[in-house]
Amino acid sequence: MPRPTKNKYCIILICLVHFFGASQQNKLDSLKNELQAHALKDTIRVGLLIKLASEMTYSEPNQGFSLIEEALTISKKNKWLKGEALAQRQKGNLYYVLADNLNALDAYQQALVLSKKITDKQLESSILSNLGNIHADLKEYDQALENYHAYLETSQAMGNRAEEIKALSNIAIIYNDTENFKEGVSYLKKALELAKLEKNNLFVAAITNNLALAQKKQDKPQKALENYQKAADLAQIIGNKYIEASALNSIGEINALLQNYAVAETYADRALSISKEIGAVEWQADSWKVLSSAYENKGETAGALNAYKEYVTLRDSVLSEEKKSELTRKEMQFQMERQQAVANEEIKRQQLVKNIYLIGAILLVLLAVLGYYIYKRRRDELEKKKTAEFNAKVSETELKALRSQMNPHFIFNSLNSISDFISKNDIQQADDYLVKFSRLTRAILENSEKKSIPLNEDLELMELYMQIEAIRLENKLHHKITIDQDIEPNNTLVPPLILQPFIENSIWHGIAPKNGDGHIDIKIKKEGDMLKYVVDDNGVGQPKKNMSEKKSNGSYGIKITKSRIDILSHLKNKKGSINLMDKPEGVRVEITLPLELQF
Amino acid sequence: MLKALIVDDEQHCIDRLERLLESSTYNIQIVGYCKTIDEAKKEIVKNTPDILFLDVQLGNETGFDLLSQLNSIDFEVIFTTSYDKYALKAIKFSALDYLLKPIDNTELDNALQKLRQQRSLKEASKKIDVLFHNFKESNASSKRIAIPTVEGFSMMDTKEIIRFQSDTNYTHIYTLSQKKITASKTIKYFEEILDENMFFRVHKSHLVNLDYIKTYTKGKGGYITLSDKTKIEVAVRRKDELLQKLRA
Repeated sequence: MPRPTKNKYCIILICLVHFFGASQQNKLDSLKNELQAHALKDTIRVGLLIKLASEMTYSEPNQGFSLIEEALTISKKNKWLKGEALAQRQKGNLYYVLADNLNALDAYQQALVLSKKITDKQLESSILSNLGNIHADLKEYDQALENYHAYLETSQAMGNRAEEIKALSNIAIIYNDTENFKEGVSYLKKALELAKLEKNNLFVAAITNNLALAQKKQDKPQKALENYQKAADLAQIIGNKYIEASALNSIGEINALLQNYAVAETYADRALSISKEIGAVEWQADSWKVLSSAYENKGETAGALNAYKEYVTLRDSVLSEEKKSELTRKEMQFQMERQQAVANEEIKRQQLVKNIYLIGAILLVLLAVLGYYIYKRRRDELEKKKTAEFNAKVSETELKALRSQMNPHFIFNSLNSISDFISKNDIQQADDYLVKFSRLTRAILENSEKKSIPLNEDLELMELYMQIEAIRLENKLHHKITIDQDIEPNNTLVPPLILQPFIENSIWHGIAPKNGDGHIDIKIKKEGDMLKYVVDDNGVGQPKKNMSEKKSNGSYGIKITKSRIDILSHLKNKKGSINLMDKPEGVRVEITLPLELQF
Repeated sequence: MLKALIVDDEQHCIDRLERLLESSTYNIQIVGYCKTIDEAKKEIVKNTPDILFLDVQLGNETGFDLLSQLNSIDFEVIFTTSYDKYALKAIKFSALDYLLKPIDNTELDNALQKLRQQRSLKEASKKIDVLFHNFKESNASSKRIAIPTVEGFSMMDTKEIIRFQSDTNYTHIYTLSQKKITASKTIKYFEEILDENMFFRVHKSHLVNLDYIKTYTKGKGGYITLSDKTKIEVAVRRKDELLQKLRA
């Protein structure tokens, strides 16, 4: 019996499954046979496995584990929770018997969880009781009480009196062990009452015995004696030698203390004979001790010495036994503490790892934010630079456009023409030319700061420009402007004088060098969301490459126009274009712009 | 027979105008010319001209200075200028007439014809009042405008105007006092001379005073509701710019 014999006179009403059931070899064999016959991995096999393991609890507990493991595997596979719970409980029993309290606790805890899941009160209460016992063994009284109270509640809920009595007495024992006799006695009285109601004499005897013990410790020898006597009598009637021996021994002891040595001797003698019968060494030692003091008092020195010797021998064997179990207990506790420490260490380590991960993650996020910030700043800077460059290009182009429209050739050629008219005394022509020239100049200056003007206004300016040039060419220049029906000239916006460089080109490099009249034909069309100008002339065609001066002038205006169209394309996100092509007679220019409407 | 006085600080400009007036079909008698404000003041008192051709830029002074120094104005004024954007805007605001130099004889004829149709000299004086009011008033939102109508002219504070609505070559003007005036000018004319921060062309046919927009309702272009509860459609292409102005 690994169970510590701390409560030496206290009869404990704990019940492992088949706790007192001595295993019978033939029963074991028949179970083994049955198991062999039933190879199917089902719930019946699980039942058999557990039953067999249970039968082996005291005879060969180590063999029981393999059976339990199989029972667990099958139950889990079949999702049979009750089987799993029963197996775990039996596993706990096996460990408990082997004094491996730690593993026993673990198995019982698992069994408890499962039994709660399937709400099997019977199972739950038995497990709670066993858990309480282990904690009591480990002197973890608070946890023991907690489990016993739970055990009490479940047994009350089930209405199982026997279990309730056991729970009450176990609670009482804990209180008595912790010297809280008031509580202990009150629980014992409750248990006693119930036991009497149940007419369970074994329980009544055991509880009465425990009650007497408590009273003895409370220094109430008379009451204690009374109860011990009751317990002894009842035990004799039901033939329970354990209780009888314990009670008689206690009566002897108390009488010795009260110096009623004759009475003490009688009781000690009776107790000794019963103890010998049942082989209770410790109680035999106690009996010898009482007898020794009784003989001494009678003056039988030799008998007293002999009794004392017996006492010492037996006590030593008990003590060594006790020490052994105490050692086991200590070792267990040490192991448990070590495991606890390891677990704590592990928890700490995991916490640390978690913290490291967390810090790492935060750092990573910070880094990403910083990275993005730097990236964004650089991108913004680039964007800004691009915008600035674009704006610079816009203003530069605007200026150049103005300069190309008001190009010095045009101004001085015009002034030369006026001078020429005056010298020829053609005042009317000179004045006419001059007024037109100033009107055009004013319009160009006014419009140069506008991004776009209505198409009709732009065409009026072109008209004026061609009239001026026609005067200079002595009316050998004719022109025609055609606008498609689906264009509203006053609601269509165009960049001012975009055509001027091309018309100037046509006039001075196409028509002026030509013999005979020249013709410029301007057509304006709508193509989807683009506006298309087509300018045809019937001049001499594009200038030859070696005429560098004229060419550069022409291409300068065209370059600027290209630039203006690029800007417009960029702003409107549509691609405009310029196409210059040679014809058999003259040149054709096609300009495509994003169509922009005012309303 | 109308008496004309020419005020200009450049002789060749005077000569050109004289030549053009002499060859004109309108019967104009030139009573004199002067090059400074002081000379002009004396000439005006002495000759009581019907028409004053007045150069905007007179050395360090302006033609406006001359007008402001006169006690009464009982003649028509036609400004002459070669290139002065701000002066031109002010002149247009007062619906006064002007000629651009070098003067084109067709334009001179047009101006003279308009003059002949003028009902009374009182209007000339009123227009000049408008001009001076606008010079004195530095606050852009409180300008007076002379509105040409079929009958003559209507002088009005720009603050009074809620909106303009185009009707081909005419424009209807709706005021705070719930009057409707029909101007003999296109909506474009008003859009050009009015402050673009005060009036906005929300639609081909509508020019509205930004101060009187109560709500904007979303839609393709959406519409605005003015303080007089009229709802005005907003053109799709004007929507973004309008919202930008409203936010500012």
